[in-house]
Amino acid sequence: MSTVILIALAVIALGVSLRKDKDKTIKTVKQARNMMKGMLSDIVGILLLIGLVLTLIPSETIESLIGSESGFLAVVLSAVLGTITLIPAFVAFPLIGSLKSSGAGLVTLTAFLTTLTMVGFLTMPLEIKTFGKKFTIIRNGVSFVFAILIALSMGVIL
Amino acid sequence: MKLIKKNKILFVAIVAYILVLFIKPAYFVEGLKQSKYYFIEMLQILPAVFILTSLIQTWVPTPVIMKYFGDGSGIKGYGLSFLIGSLSAGPIYAAFPVCKTLFKKGAGIKNIMIILSTWAVVKVPMLINEAKFMGIEYMVVRWVLTVVAIMVMAVIVGRLLKPSDIKMTEEKMMIDHSVCILCGKCLNEYPDVIVKTELGFTIRDDKEASEEIKNVCPVGAIR
Repeated sequence: MSTVILIALAVIALGVSLRKDKDKTIKTVKQARNMMKGMLSDIVGILLLIGLVLTLIPSETIESLIGSESGFLAVVLSAVLGTITLIPAFVAFPLIGSLKSSGAGLVTLTAFLTTLTMVGFLTMPLEIKTFGKKFTIIRNGVSFVFAILIALSMGVIL
Repeated sequence: MKLIKKNKILFVAIVAYILVLFIKPAYFVEGLKQSKYYFIEMLQILPAVFILTSLIQTWVPTPVIMKYFGDGSGIKGYGLSFLIGSLSAGPIYAAFPVCKTLFKKGAGIKNIMIILSTWAVVKVPMLINEAKFMGIEYMVVRWVLTVVAIMVMAVIVGRLLKPSDIKMTEEKMMIDHSVCILCGKCLNEYPDVIVKTELGFTIRDDKEASEEIKNVCPVGAIR
């Protein structure tokens, strides 16, 4: 269903754009193609790894490690894992989707997903260079705490 | 080596598969089978995600929103910060230079917090992707919680930090005197940036780095 919405949205947007400015639209499509090319190897790599993880790690193990009963420590550890990992955000969704279907809990997955994009350990040197140490540490610290709060709230609501 | 570095994740995946092939061939096939489902799913949405992202960049380019930004205060400023973050493409570190430019224009800590956080988490094509793999309910609830969290975070960090706490390290240019041939081309073209001293040519302290000035040197001594 959401695939249909997404594709329809892209097609409509593309149509409108084509009518407004043909050259600009062609350039945009080329840009999209280049963007895809640039990320293709990461995407293929992650998808291959997802298959391997699902095969090698039995779902009982996933459930006991990061399942919905796994407790606060598991949530914090997932958040830490998200902080130190650097993968494109949209391959993160199939990744956590696959973990969810093998028994991982929403709270741990949300913690991982949120810190993955909002808190960055590997990008910290760059952030410090841009904004200075104080801002970087406070921003990442506050974001980490809030990622856990968001995750815990998800568990309460859903 | 460069190829491996560029395709790090893929390389790890291939090595892992080769190892599995030797240790337990059955898992090799099973792993590929499991991946197949996600490949098909991703193939359906990938072109659409990238086209939408690029279209947004073309028709609502970040520099245009930045023009309306003003000093970023008030509801309008926060709204525009939100728009910049959610409509721009790229990972969070692509947001750093944008924030730097806006900060120089007078944006506050709150604006920068909003831009960086929304840039990271709130992206229209990503939301559909999220709904696909995690369900619409999950996506909506997480979106609402995240937006609330971003607002609260902006207020907290805005209280904790003063604008003077942000140290914008200006990129400084320098002239490498072991390379410089004292041709004087830089002085001719940028007399307000370059000064001649007994050491040779140097750059005035208050000048920011600029590619144009660097390119003027025929031997590449300015960097």
